[in-house]
Amino acid sequence: MKNYLPIIGLEVHVELKTKSKMFCQCSASYFNRPANSQTCPVCLGLPGALPVPNQKAIEWTILLGRALNCQINHFSKFDRKHYFYPDLPKGYQISQHDQPIAKDGWYKLKNYKGEEKTYKIRRVHLEEDTGKLIHTTDGTLIDFNRSGVPLVEIVSEPDFHNAEEVKEFLEELQILIRYLDISDADMEKGTMRLEPNISLICRATKQSLTKNKINLPNYKVEIKNINSFRFVKQAIEYEIQRQSDIFNQGKQPKQETRGYDAEKNLTYSLRVKEEAADYRYFPEPDIPPMIFKNDFLNKLFKKVPELPNEKLLRYQNKFKLNYSDAFILTRNKKMADYFELILNQLSKRKKEIRIIDYPKEIAKFIVNKKIAWQLSAEQFIEKAIKLMTPVVTDTNLLEKVIKEVIKNNSQAVSDYKKGKTNVLMYLVGQAMKDLKGKAEAKKVLEKIKEKLS
Amino acid sequence: MTKKTRLKIEQILHLADLAGVKLTEAEVKKYQDQLSQTIEYVSNLKNYHVGKAKITYQTTNLSNIFFPDGEKNQRAFSISEALLNAKNKKDNFFKTKKIL
Amino acid sequence: MNITGYTLLEIIKLVKKRQITIPEVTSFFYNRIKKFNQRLNAFITVLDYQQIKPGIPIAVKDNFCTKGIKTTAASKVLADFISPYESTVTDKLIKNGLTIIGKTNMDAWAHGSSTETSDFGPTKNPWNIDYSPGGSSGGSVAAVSAYLVPAAIGSETAGSIRQPASWSGVIGLKPTYGRVSRYGLIAMGSSLDCPGPLTISVADAAFLLKVIAGKDNYDATTSFQEVPDYLKKLEKNQKFVIGITDEYFEGVLPEIKNKIFTCLNIFRKLGHKIKKIKLISPKYAISVYTIIQRAEVSSNLARYDGIRFGNPREFLGSEAKKRIMLGTYTLSHGYYESFYKKAQQFRTLIIEDYIKAFKEVDFIISPTTPTTAFKLGEFEKYPFFGELMDMLNEPASVAGLPAINLPAGLDKNNLPIGMQIVGPYFYEDRILNLANQFEKETDYFGVIKKGILRYQ
Repeated sequence: MKNYLPIIGLEVHVELKTKSKMFCQCSASYFNRPANSQTCPVCLGLPGALPVPNQKAIEWTILLGRALNCQINHFSKFDRKHYFYPDLPKGYQISQHDQPIAKDGWYKLKNYKGEEKTYKIRRVHLEEDTGKLIHTTDGTLIDFNRSGVPLVEIVSEPDFHNAEEVKEFLEELQILIRYLDISDADMEKGTMRLEPNISLICRATKQSLTKNKINLPNYKVEIKNINSFRFVKQAIEYEIQRQSDIFNQGKQPKQETRGYDAEKNLTYSLRVKEEAADYRYFPEPDIPPMIFKNDFLNKLFKKVPELPNEKLLRYQNKFKLNYSDAFILTRNKKMADYFELILNQLSKRKKEIRIIDYPKEIAKFIVNKKIAWQLSAEQFIEKAIKLMTPVVTDTNLLEKVIKEVIKNNSQAVSDYKKGKTNVLMYLVGQAMKDLKGKAEAKKVLEKIKEKLS
Repeated sequence: MTKKTRLKIEQILHLADLAGVKLTEAEVKKYQDQLSQTIEYVSNLKNYHVGKAKITYQTTNLSNIFFPDGEKNQRAFSISEALLNAKNKKDNFFKTKKIL
Repeated sequence: MNITGYTLLEIIKLVKKRQITIPEVTSFFYNRIKKFNQRLNAFITVLDYQQIKPGIPIAVKDNFCTKGIKTTAASKVLADFISPYESTVTDKLIKNGLTIIGKTNMDAWAHGSSTETSDFGPTKNPWNIDYSPGGSSGGSVAAVSAYLVPAAIGSETAGSIRQPASWSGVIGLKPTYGRVSRYGLIAMGSSLDCPGPLTISVADAAFLLKVIAGKDNYDATTSFQEVPDYLKKLEKNQKFVIGITDEYFEGVLPEIKNKIFTCLNIFRKLGHKIKKIKLISPKYAISVYTIIQRAEVSSNLARYDGIRFGNPREFLGSEAKKRIMLGTYTLSHGYYESFYKKAQQFRTLIIEDYIKAFKEVDFIISPTTPTTAFKLGEFEKYPFFGELMDMLNEPASVAGLPAINLPAGLDKNNLPIGMQIVGPYFYEDRILNLANQFEKETDYFGVIKKGILRYQ
């Protein structure tokens, strides 16, 4: 058995959640709408219709490029990409070819264990989505509601070597996109789509495997139709195995596009590409170029919110959270926002809290689900304060209450004396109820034990 | 005509395939001649040195022409308007021959 | 009231003064169309009389989408396409008191210079029906020349307004690219296409340009430049420096050259200066134009798959297929650099060449076409003929500059000769000013009037 190094690159498509489509004013939210109810001359590709770009989609693409540490091109343009398919109304897709909005980025991924790896981002560009096809027995039906919805394509360098890190990266990318609030990035709904391309380097060959200088294999298998993170992992693992098997038989895998069948957990050939597709790109003459000046970009960059990893660092430094709590909190922006809302409101009630680094406690309450973060801030804070407040025991009251409890629960007391020690907790509970929390449970327990001995 | 610029039959067929047009045998012959002649003529640009001239793909000198997201849609079609000119439709859908 | 030969503006004035009613004007032109269109085949669609909305009737080329009216671009692919939306140009016409009486014939998809590639039969030259009216706006010029309408809207990619205007003896104005919206104009060469008026007077051209020009939020390539009151700009005669260049007289019939020289003398007499300049030979612009246009055509015709509208691609005509194939070639892998890219680089040189020239002169005057009208059927014989016929128009189109054709006399066969004035970007007001001076001085040597009088 030879040893293979998988080389995996990613193409990720993300549908932006703008109100309007990319090149016309039609609504971009097509989910559950009647077929062909959201179209106009532009997104139906009627004769004479012309595209005008949606400003927000462009700005959001710049923000995403920025968040992925890309260089934003000062001069960018749209191009036409030609191919025929019934869901592509114009016979070309307006996309970006040689001057994408953003290029040459990187993203440093730290997993929950704190292990770090940097992945290179080749480009981030903007294009339009196609219509939707529904295949029936006697023909194919087409709905153009989705036609023209803004679609961002993120292309990574082939920096991934196993399915797990791809999954981690994608989860992180989803979080990042949700932080930016530019897309739902939902794999099931198709607002986030992944096409990994996978090939193997045979380590037995004398290829140089020094990290910076991997000679890429001369073939690539692209996988389509993956609609969950779980399937991403399964599909890639299946594909690595399939290609290894081919190599082990002394053969060479074909350059092709394969689909993933989640039910059977396997990939199947969609089409074999013998030569690169000829899309006949040329600059879109209907759309003047985009020129992004520094002033404009700097103003726009201010709209990039604090990103998950920055937040994580801040939580570690400012609130002294441990890595794992900070990691979990920052992987969900809503949760992180809630955490900060609680801290913010608590700061007004500092006098009631005796613990100095209470943010650590709050983080633990949320992360360990000790208090549900779905509660209103007020409710959460009440509970949190209670949990964090050491109870001062009123010894006189304690004496009185315990006496009462022993008197009123003679059966339990006699059971205890017979050796049923578990009734003790029942008596503590009764006492606690009467004390209305004005005593520490530990002290109550000790006192009852003392009285009954 | 120089041999170099004369298109081969396979090239004509490949172009027709890319372009999504079907040609009769007679058309293949005709286009082989006519396209080759045209290419021969327009190749006169090769003799003219353009240096590092930038490309002009549009002459307007405009840039950054956008529309604001959420702008009122005044062109929306009703479903029946959208389907008005379709030869083949089913329910609210456009329909085409089965594809895989 | 017999209004034969009245300009559009004169008719509007008569209506305003209540000397004639709109229905009278409408039935006047409607009857002329009924009487003469069969002979000329200028229209693909003439509206039913009841269908015509109130307004002064004019004709538009059948590549403008008109809501509820058949729009074919003269191709069988769109033989029964009823546009569900209105083009910006026709919308503006309607909003300014005009109405569309019919859609005029053209070369299919505007591919051609003779109106013979129309899938609905060729249009005849009103001056001699054995001849081509030119194209691709052949139906529009024929309708104006024979006065079946007082004015029409055409479109030009490179010469499709000026060349047929020249061959059929009317005024044809091609505005600066981006001056008039292309929204709803069925795209031919997207970086070149320009709608423009075809008229029997400069004032009508000025009026119509004012109506159709301006920024359009549905066309990202339209200019923010304010639209001047072109009519007002005609009032005061201005003095200009006119450039001429030998390159634009090469291969031009001597008869035509001589007529243009006569016109130049008239300009001298009117107090303008004539200056010789040098420009890059138009023979390169032909190549630049052909490559760019075919590339854009191959892309623009990709949407015609017969699914959402129209007939399938099998209905595309021979000329369209040929252009699509060439465009596909010049964009395809391995050829893009030496054809498409080179052409777009050369385009930059042509623009720079003009900018340099316009530092010395206000306009460049030349013949509009190297010959007068050809007999129907001649074009068939040469694959590349249209481009050669339009060679004097192509450089300005490639650069996106405004230009006008003015009738400059008749040749020995009694066919019109055209003169072309090309100006800098957004110089339409001054082009019209100069043209107006020429009109007042010469009345086009009676060409327009004679053309109309043939159709009584």
